[in-house]
Amino acid sequence: MSISSQTADSFEAHPRKTKVIRAPSFSPVRIQADIAELYQYRDLLLTLTAHRVKVRYKQSILGVAWAIVQPFSLMLIYTLIFTYIARVPMTGTTPYPIVLYSALLIWTFFSTALTSATNGLVSHTHLVTKVYFPREILPLSYVLAGLFDLLIASPILIGLMIYYGVPISIYALYAIPIALILTVVLTSASLVLSAAQVHFRDIGMALPLVLQIWMFASPVVYPISAVPERFRAWYLLNPMAGIVENFRRVLVEAAPPNFAELGVSALIAVVFLPIAYIIFKHTEAKIADVI
Amino acid sequence: MIDLKFANVSKRYRIRQGPEGATSENRLTRTLKGLWKPRKEFWAVRDVSFEVERGEALGIIGHNGAGKSTILKMLANITPPTSGEIVINGRLSALIEVGSGFHPELTGRENIFLNGSILGMTRREISAKFDRIVEFAGIQQFVDTPVKRYSSGMYVRLGFSIAAHLDPDILLLDEVLAVGDTAFQTKCLKRITQLKESGTTIVFISHDLGAVERVCTRSILLEHGEIQAMGPPDEVIAEYQARAGSTSLPPPLLKTSSLLSNEIEITSFTFRDGDGNEMSLARTGDRLTARIEYHCEAPVADVVFEIIFHTMDEEVICHFLSASDRPAEDIPEGAGMIEVHCDELGLFPGMYYVDVIVRRADAQPGFRIDSRHRCKNLRVDPGKQLRGLFYSPHRWDQPKPIVPSPTLVADAGVASEPKVGI
Repeated sequence: MSISSQTADSFEAHPRKTKVIRAPSFSPVRIQADIAELYQYRDLLLTLTAHRVKVRYKQSILGVAWAIVQPFSLMLIYTLIFTYIARVPMTGTTPYPIVLYSALLIWTFFSTALTSATNGLVSHTHLVTKVYFPREILPLSYVLAGLFDLLIASPILIGLMIYYGVPISIYALYAIPIALILTVVLTSASLVLSAAQVHFRDIGMALPLVLQIWMFASPVVYPISAVPERFRAWYLLNPMAGIVENFRRVLVEAAPPNFAELGVSALIAVVFLPIAYIIFKHTEAKIADVI
Repeated sequence: MIDLKFANVSKRYRIRQGPEGATSENRLTRTLKGLWKPRKEFWAVRDVSFEVERGEALGIIGHNGAGKSTILKMLANITPPTSGEIVINGRLSALIEVGSGFHPELTGRENIFLNGSILGMTRREISAKFDRIVEFAGIQQFVDTPVKRYSSGMYVRLGFSIAAHLDPDILLLDEVLAVGDTAFQTKCLKRITQLKESGTTIVFISHDLGAVERVCTRSILLEHGEIQAMGPPDEVIAEYQARAGSTSLPPPLLKTSSLLSNEIEITSFTFRDGDGNEMSLARTGDRLTARIEYHCEAPVADVVFEIIFHTMDEEVICHFLSASDRPAEDIPEGAGMIEVHCDELGLFPGMYYVDVIVRRADAQPGFRIDSRHRCKNLRVDPGKQLRGLFYSPHRWDQPKPIVPSPTLVADAGVASEPKVGI
């Protein structure tokens, strides 16, 4: 019988790994093993990401277009408010809708992905209590699915720029490393918040409000130059400030990035990520008991 | 060669107790008060040690809450032990609940890939086994239909099929056979046996003691998180039943309920065979008598007795209601008993738990005079051989024609011959 002979083959062929399970404790060796395991499960991360994208658009008429609708309609609303009702002091010559859309593009990516990733563990109770896999895959898959949405919504920006006759410069290529820094910030925040949400559902309740405040604390609807000089240093402690401002600058203002601003964001991102991962892995073991 | 090792493994859960009458307070004050209170400790598993050799099939049996599932979840790395050490030698796959990784919006095909990768397979491995998985589950026609349109049977078949085709070194199975129809259960058992013969180590949890006996080479009996017996399955199962039978009326769960009026107290509940001897093992098709003994404090009119057979998972299988074929009883003061007789027991092989209820005929739901939850269990072994879902008492005969009329026979004879002249 083919089944038994195959099993017998794999019996000889693959070397068996010995795994020891003990009460959870912290050690650098474990973190290394955790990262190796995450790599082993990369197929699951990709499958789940594809699954998120598919499920999101499966029974909706507009389908993938929904990725565009949100930032685009927000852009229309804010343009209406800030050019006709309350006037925002803009420094450059770039039309306001474009200034807005470029910032809303990455802000929407950040806030939608963070919201769904925060619920990533809680919304998969059926998996978390029944099967083992590295749990960080759940929040991470939302981050990746968000990146996909970002890619979908980006061409509209180019369309808008052509429409308004805004030139694209070589500096636009800086958008890629900036998006990378943003992804690192997003990943760290997702790891910490999703683990915290398991213990305190208040996190998920408070998040929409926090994101609203956070957006107005970031240069989304106004430029960073509108922030008074004496608050600027404090303002930049928000990692999203440097990211949003410079994403806009390189894409639609055809200017080089401000490396000082961006450096602060990058530094915060790089320091925060390992801390977030360690926090997540430390609480991971107990998730199935608490959830 | 040892594939699995449990060394002095314990698992403690802490339950934070809210103060009495907590319903009137909001959650914040309750949580804050709870912080000051010592948390109640509960040991789901205590100092358990065992080893499983390669190719062995270990069955774990015990009551609900005995710690079986906690052991399986620790093996599957879903929850960590509080102390002790677990050593796993090889690739392990656990089927804790069939179909738990399915997404209803996705098709069968997409779900096979999703579920397979959750269980630790790579895309390539899944592709290689795809056809066999679909064929085993018998869902060829529906592979591109969203699983939300599947019947529950198809759902279960697909879930088991994926897990059974992983070719793990160690396979954990929790109650996978509790679902699905009999034909599929047989197919599953066959596949499990096949895996065992090809060298897969198996840990099996089931309430179906017959399946444990058939599949397993060794068995563990758990009670209150501790190992009570370990050895050949038939001996361990016998031990389990001896223990279950010895406690005739364990403290009932609902006894403290304020909905009990308590004029009548159930003092004993027993099963008896055709000769009136007490027993706890029956065969399908056997004669069975169930006897409720009670003590009545004050006369009560219009009383109804109920006996409910249910599975471990509280699924009601059979219900006997005394008022269904006779008027409700008027119970005088003092001790008494009532019996229900089954000429041919219809229950299929398995383990059943019994609830006994005494109530007024016109009582509101939940209002009872006395009630005993899981006060007895009944093991049913295969008796009159059968297929299907249940046994219905029946009898066969060959009815003879009432009066074999010669004219009719003659007519028939004529009719079969070509009639000349017409």
